[in-house]
Amino acid sequence: MDTLGLLASILYQFGTNAAFLLLAAIGLVVILGMMNIINLAHGELMMMGAYIATIVTHRGIPFPLAVLLAFLLVAMFGAALERVIIRRFYGHELGALVVTWGISLIMGQGTLLFFGPFMPSIGIPGGSFSLGAYSFATYWIVLIGVSAILIAALWWIYQNTRFGLMARATMQKAAMAEALGVNTDRVYMLTFALGSGLAGACGALLAPTVSISPLMGQQFVAPAFITVVVGGAANVLLGAIGSSLLLSAVKTPVGLLFGAFIGTVALLLTALIIIRLMPNGVSFYLQRFTERRVGA
Amino acid sequence: MATQIPKELETQAESGQAVERRTVVQGIAAAVAATALPKFGVMTRSTALAAESGPVKIGFIEDYSGNLSVYGLQKLHAAQLAIKEINEGKTLKGGPVGAGGLGAEANFAGKPPTIGIEGTGLPVVNDGGPKDHKDVVFAEDEDVLIDSGDKGILGREVQLIAPDGQSNNALWQQLARRLIQQDKVDVLVAGFASAEREAIRPIVDRAKQLYFYTNQYEGGVADANTFCTGPVCEQQVIPGVSYMVEKFGPRGYTIAADYNFGQLTAAWTRAFAPLVGGEIIGEEFIPLSVSEFSTVIARIQQAKPDWVMTLLVGQNQHNYYPQAAAAGLRLPMVSTVNMAQGYEHRRFKPPSLAGMHNAIQYQMEVPTNRNRAFVKRWMAMFPNDQYIGEMAQNTYFTIHLYAKAVRLAGTTDQQQVKKALESGWTIEAPEGAVFLEPGTHHCAHYIRLAVCDENHNVSFPRSWPMIQAWWLQRLGVNLIRHPEYKQYVPDEDPYFAMFLKNKSKKT
Repeated sequence: MDTLGLLASILYQFGTNAAFLLLAAIGLVVILGMMNIINLAHGELMMMGAYIATIVTHRGIPFPLAVLLAFLLVAMFGAALERVIIRRFYGHELGALVVTWGISLIMGQGTLLFFGPFMPSIGIPGGSFSLGAYSFATYWIVLIGVSAILIAALWWIYQNTRFGLMARATMQKAAMAEALGVNTDRVYMLTFALGSGLAGACGALLAPTVSISPLMGQQFVAPAFITVVVGGAANVLLGAIGSSLLLSAVKTPVGLLFGAFIGTVALLLTALIIIRLMPNGVSFYLQRFTERRVGA
Repeated sequence: MATQIPKELETQAESGQAVERRTVVQGIAAAVAATALPKFGVMTRSTALAAESGPVKIGFIEDYSGNLSVYGLQKLHAAQLAIKEINEGKTLKGGPVGAGGLGAEANFAGKPPTIGIEGTGLPVVNDGGPKDHKDVVFAEDEDVLIDSGDKGILGREVQLIAPDGQSNNALWQQLARRLIQQDKVDVLVAGFASAEREAIRPIVDRAKQLYFYTNQYEGGVADANTFCTGPVCEQQVIPGVSYMVEKFGPRGYTIAADYNFGQLTAAWTRAFAPLVGGEIIGEEFIPLSVSEFSTVIARIQQAKPDWVMTLLVGQNQHNYYPQAAAAGLRLPMVSTVNMAQGYEHRRFKPPSLAGMHNAIQYQMEVPTNRNRAFVKRWMAMFPNDQYIGEMAQNTYFTIHLYAKAVRLAGTTDQQQVKKALESGWTIEAPEGAVFLEPGTHHCAHYIRLAVCDENHNVSFPRSWPMIQAWWLQRLGVNLIRHPEYKQYVPDEDPYFAMFLKNKSKKT
């Protein structure tokens, strides 16, 4: 029984670690991976989603609806942000980096001014169940499923819809896409809004598990960037899945055996080695591998 | 007690601010020195020059933004409240009672205990309450705030200069330099994290600046310029752990923030658990950036301890509580920081903090009249505040203590005020009586065991009315006779190694 419990516990940790990385990264996958904007305000967009979900849940709105609302409101905020500021920085990577950093400071400290240093959090929905000596939170199991659904939905949008086609065309060669009648301006705005909305929704999904405070977004920034960069640009969605699974596969056993500190060290070391040895990221090799198989 | 500055000097001093400070100051230096001299012997010309004109400046650095702002804002409000009260002519009860502990001005044993009704033949004053109840007998004050007979300090207005440290150690150093060198503050009150304190302490020492560190911390700072008014490990770890061992069993598991506070407090826990019959069966240090705890939770479940010592710091690590509760980990917990400082029990939905124990020296719920009066005064000034934590109360009584010490010294000259502070002060703080031990510059505190229940209500099932900060005394620190400027760590005390060795022999 206890070996079964241990096995389940390892699987559960592997899943939660990967889901955490994926949820932290999904919004950035779109904005950094596709639009190539180093969005340092990513954490604050997640923070905004978490605040929206927390506030409306306290008002009695059911949590799933709150997540949806967080998606919509943060997406709208993202669209406005793109129209007013971000679009002036396409092609200027460093400019975009500095301006998004500025936005993150304004959002974080602005929230501190308006809402104070803390907001009472919402409880984690669902209970727990146990197997042997180990017990597990139902909500994290749900989160693992939701993160898989989100990435699959994103995949579907980009592969199977007209918007996805136009977006891929715009990201590959904007001038050519424009010549073929794609309204690239609109595609950029929608893509940024989608990325922001996803960040907001993921912030809302993680809100019950974290403390709600103005600078809470910071904790997601490093995992998000590591996941996206390790994933690489060849195929950002495949890369995000691959890198979150790979990093979790390193972190989980090492963390379980040697503790959280060594676990974090192992994760960072793995990221370092991958970026050094595979500068194109995991996705480049994953894609080559699948292409070869298809070709053969 | 207060030395009055003659009226005409006061007006001169005020205009001196606008004209040229130095010339006016020189003009009044002799007169001021004359008023201050009789109290504390020789006073050099330069020290007299520096003091006694314009407002009394309290330099204050805390983090009002950034990761630590949840603590910094409370401390800022505490300083503002104390300074408002001082300027309105109020002070806390208490005074120098001499080295040796609580004296006539403390409020313990207002009623004598009722022993001896039957059999012993001792005279009994009255029957004072049911005898089956085991507790300390003391008369409870309605409030401890009284008139000081002095508007401001020595008739001078008190001014707060409080720049934002932004949770950034490099900025802390810059601000400390600015407050000391440009603003020439009369006293510096600053510091939440130990890293912040250690960042500015060398600057403080170079300038011989009078400095108060008001936070709960890991202990060991022996610095002739620094006064530590918060509780330290020996006052919190041992009572907390002994309660846990007695109530829940001997096997403890420590999870701690991975920096000097967490490391050293965990070392105390490891070394002293065997003294009270306990044992630390596992220990884990967690980087401040970690915010997802499934692996930590699984490791604790694997080790099966009787209780968990949680020394978690910062908002990322606070996520542990809801996550552990959701994962069904319902072990009793003990801490020296959580709940009393970051009010996690108010921020997280019940039952995340259920079963949390902390041997605290103050938190907002302390059930005494004087504390209720304090909370009322605070909330009247800051109606939107969510909580008053341990280090906020420390900041509050520390600034009142400074004002009292200046009145005793009769001058704001920092060297004289330091000497005045080394007279064995008892001050009646909202927590209870606090005694500032002269030789080590640390405080004896009223310690209470706070327990958080399923609904996040707090109760105090046990109290220790006076626990000394004894460790530096054990090491022979006496800052009056042998000034030092360092922080001791448990490795320097052979007794720690001895305790650990005994433990390994036994098992």
